[in-house]
Amino acid sequence: MTIWEVMPPRVTRRPVEVPVAIYGNRWCGITQLIRRALDRAGVPYQYVDLDEHPSAHAKLEALARGRLRTPVVYIDGEWLMEPSLAEVRAVLARHGVPL
Amino acid sequence: MDAFDLLDSAAPIDAARDLYRAAPPMDGERVAPGLAPGVRAPDFALPDADGNVVRLSELRGTPVALVFYPLDWSPGCSVQLELYQQEFDEFSSRGIRLLGVSVDSIYSHGAWAAVRGIKYPLLSDFQPRGEAARAYAVWRDADGHSERAVYLIDADGVIRWSHVSPRLKELPDFDELVAALDLVAAPGDAPNPTEE
Repeated sequence: MTIWEVMPPRVTRRPVEVPVAIYGNRWCGITQLIRRALDRAGVPYQYVDLDEHPSAHAKLEALARGRLRTPVVYIDGEWLMEPSLAEVRAVLARHGVPL
Repeated sequence: MDAFDLLDSAAPIDAARDLYRAAPPMDGERVAPGLAPGVRAPDFALPDADGNVVRLSELRGTPVALVFYPLDWSPGCSVQLELYQQEFDEFSSRGIRLLGVSVDSIYSHGAWAAVRGIKYPLLSDFQPRGEAARAYAVWRDADGHSERAVYLIDADGVIRWSHVSPRLKELPDFDELVAALDLVAAPGDAPNPTEE
């Protein structure tokens, strides 16, 4: 009998944290859907409200070369325009974050 | 099931679920004022997707969240009602009955709810078209559908909170809606913030 049979090793899984940012509007359904899903899953993120920060909106417009669709979600190097929750979930999963 | 069977079984429903993303956008300024808090909620009798008639007066004793939305399958509505399904426990934990209402037929409601995974009742304000929306002062005559509006009705049948979106594409802020849910929560059902 090994000591592990008496006392199994405790596996502590460190939560994976990846940088996540949401650029959206409080009245926007997709913004709310994604934010609430992240809140429920305990996934930290930064939120930039585009009504309150028009300069951020202008920068996104420039990045998207006039084809901006909001919200924009940034996940560890990937930029998603007007993603569905399923797309956000898939990208987070690829980065090791379950949603 | 082989890989080709998977395509046959999965593709149509996935495509239907995402139809709203390529659909023409819906927008326009609010034209109907809605009813103010403090007034008695007008009674209605509307069928759900199963053909069961839901009568507001028969729900007396239960708080109701009544969500008027323009149309099934449309961009904003698809996300709004999916959001409320995702957050359904915010309503149910407070003993609040959640009901969606639009002018679509019961058959459209059934198909749309199945595609979007919506489990709460969707009521059909189909004939006479928009009668309930008119009673709640959220009818858009030129468009033939309602405003996007939410009414919170207490257990005595009185409107305690209302929100008519300034623009059709805009949803009420969900955090504000959740805060308002406590205004009508059934006694003993309001979540205790000190509890886990």
